[in-house]
Amino acid sequence: MPVPGAIKVLVVDDQNSVRQMTRMALEEIGFRHIHEAENGVQAMETAAVQPLDLIISDYNMPEMDGLGLLRAVRGHPVARKVPFIMLTGRGDRELVVKAAQAGVNNYLVKPFTSAILRDKIEAVIGKLS
Amino acid sequence: MATLDDLKKTFFDECDEAMQQIEIGLTDIRSGEGNDETINAVFRGVHSVKGGAGIFGFEQLVEFAHVFETVLDGLRNGSLTATSENLDVLLSASDVLSDLVQMSRAGETIAEGFGAEVRSGLEQIIEQGGGGGGADGDIAPAEFEGLDFMPVAVNLDDLDADVPLAGSDGRSVYKIVFRPKPEMLKKANEPLYVLRELRKLGEAEIEANVDNLPALSEIEVDVPYLSWTITLRTEEKRAKVDEVFEFVMGDCELSIEEETPPPAVIAPAAIAADTAMPEAIAALPVIEAPSVAPAMPAPKAENKPMATKPEGETGGGAGRGKPAATTTRIELDRIDRVVNMVGELVISQAMLGQIVQDLPESTSMRLIQILDEVAHHTRELKDSVMSMRAQPVGSVFQRMPRLVREVAAKTHKKVRLETHGETTEVDRSIIERLGDPLTHIIRNSVDHGVEAPSARIAAGKPEEGVIRLSAEHRGGRIVIEIKDDGAGINSERVLKIAREKGLVGPDAQLTEDEINNLIMMPGFSTAEVISDISGRGVGMDVVRSNIQDLGGRITLKSVRGQGMTIQLALPLTLAVMDGMVIKVGTQTYVMPLSAIVECLRPSRGEISALIGTHGMLQLRGEFVPIILLSDLLGVDSAPGSNSERVVIVTDNGDGSRIGLVVDELLGHQQVVIKSIEESYGAVPGIAAATILGNGRVAFILDVEKLAELAAQTPITNHATSRAAQPALN
Repeated sequence: MPVPGAIKVLVVDDQNSVRQMTRMALEEIGFRHIHEAENGVQAMETAAVQPLDLIISDYNMPEMDGLGLLRAVRGHPVARKVPFIMLTGRGDRELVVKAAQAGVNNYLVKPFTSAILRDKIEAVIGKLS
Repeated sequence: MATLDDLKKTFFDECDEAMQQIEIGLTDIRSGEGNDETINAVFRGVHSVKGGAGIFGFEQLVEFAHVFETVLDGLRNGSLTATSENLDVLLSASDVLSDLVQMSRAGETIAEGFGAEVRSGLEQIIEQGGGGGGADGDIAPAEFEGLDFMPVAVNLDDLDADVPLAGSDGRSVYKIVFRPKPEMLKKANEPLYVLRELRKLGEAEIEANVDNLPALSEIEVDVPYLSWTITLRTEEKRAKVDEVFEFVMGDCELSIEEETPPPAVIAPAAIAADTAMPEAIAALPVIEAPSVAPAMPAPKAENKPMATKPEGETGGGAGRGKPAATTTRIELDRIDRVVNMVGELVISQAMLGQIVQDLPESTSMRLIQILDEVAHHTRELKDSVMSMRAQPVGSVFQRMPRLVREVAAKTHKKVRLETHGETTEVDRSIIERLGDPLTHIIRNSVDHGVEAPSARIAAGKPEEGVIRLSAEHRGGRIVIEIKDDGAGINSERVLKIAREKGLVGPDAQLTEDEINNLIMMPGFSTAEVISDISGRGVGMDVVRSNIQDLGGRITLKSVRGQGMTIQLALPLTLAVMDGMVIKVGTQTYVMPLSAIVECLRPSRGEISALIGTHGMLQLRGEFVPIILLSDLLGVDSAPGSNSERVVIVTDNGDGSRIGLVVDELLGHQQVVIKSIEESYGAVPGIAAATILGNGRVAFILDVEKLAELAAQTPITNHATSRAAQPALN
């Protein structure tokens, strides 16, 4: 059973406020190792030097968007198996289809509560202790 | 940890940035300057507002942003077109969104149906494109209904030691050990080229073995000390790999082994990723050890793996090596504290300089050297800090398009705003106080300057009026110009009002320019020029005093029937400046270096006498009027020969020049500006005060004002008598 406190998670969003809200929700669930990145490029830079267990990324970002990041992660020699949860808006149904094709593990519609976030994470990495 | 309120504040700060992005983008698209990325940026802006608003529960904001976003998405994917009508609706939508943000921030209740008109305009556009998107439910669903999505479960334990799976992608993996012998170098074969060739075959992980590397002093240039272990993943056959070593075969120790691929276990995700792998791969940050040049054994080389890409992919990778913008938010208070400290440092340094000068030369020599260095660093420190406070004027300019649209709509005029030089930077303190005057001037221009469409056509002008707002750095100042192509000032009417108000005598003869400038006199703004838009009790006189409070100058030029130009010349900073310390009689003054064109001691022949003046200085074919600073400031000039005196030629901002006569130049110094207006009110000719190195207070002169004063002050009898013979003989 995965222990949230031991899981290294990367939160990617260009909006600081959304990153902080996601962080708060993650901390509520019990996550302790939370890294942040503002866009796909920064996320890949983090992924290149930091072993990760989970990526939660927004879709709409400058420089490299969530889909670009997902594809980059899946093509990266080290990070390619890291579970990836895509944050989407209410109307972004088509995006989820594209993300599924690119190998996303789960999606999460904004706004979300920490309970929903927990459900979505557990659907990917198993029941958290 | 951040509280929810902190996060909300962050969110609203982000909204401000997003709103700017939206406004700029839409304006650019409207003026035909936009491209795909522009519309994407606008979309992202609205999307960000919507996303955050959802999280913080600002439902009305979310709903409006959603409709807005749907239209933008349509434009993005080409199902809608950016006609000028559609853009007008989008611009109004950006205004409504901005209002909604402001109301949400202020915690106001937003009236039901606020912005409904614009919203229905947006919905109409959506219908043009055949529906698309449309608002879905009020509460965000955790799942998309009817979407057949199965979360992909992963066992985290499998993630560890996830080295690329050999052979899993149909490629062969070769383990190559390559150890050049001395003969190889003697035959002018370069190991580096061999490694490069290998890389062209596929993905090569190269590890240099530096165990045999001797101490630097023992290295012989023609002996290869390094060897390499290469893990090559390639689609090529073994023969191709052998071919690379063809020419060095006998001159090196070589072993090439093909690794047996493990059972192919592929995550479904990985397959999808491989098929859809975009150019993004080329932009991947790959862990790279510093590359070791094989032929040159670097003593510090470490035994690190080098992951490399096939040559073709690494070259010119678009996003590679370009770091993401690294910015950090700092509270302005903190920067301000640093600015103040730098100001104090400048004063202390000047004092130190003063003391050092009084020391015996034997002691002072080295001190002076060090002090010079300190001065140099202080200056750099000051510049860096000031640049931190500097902001592009664009942040003020951005508010203006909306203003122009609103006022034009209310007055039924057609007006286009052109902005130039938005990136021109100026100190934050100036930016903050620029908004109000600029708003007032532009509102005036639309309301009073630009004529109604019918009147414009009758006057042979294009129906649409143009207001040009520009900023540029000029002579150490920032010059902001607001120029319209309207009717200009009706000088007869202005003169009439001024006479009625008693601002000018009934018989006073005024030039056109003087009359035009009357509109900036206190008390000029009258009921007659007040409409529901302009003139809410704030007249041009307030604008003028606002600008003057900033140490700036406002000038106004109007041509009947062709339009009006208002120019604001402002200092770049309100904190520290470069000054020339001068002496007149017993008094010490500081003159802003930016206003000084040159300092000279003219010979007798260069001064021509002219009745009613102190003489004209002939400067490279140009005549510059000579002014005695002592006269203007009412102080006694030092007794002594006139020929010792110095003329400082100054630029008055409008291109005109005067020659100010002073007794002595004491030197160039950075001075900290201390305002005196709060204590003494505005003193004509004096801009501010400063503290000099000797601890004494000196006034900083306002050169432009001095020039004005000189033009107004009649030459006294005493002076006139002197004027018969030029001041400097």
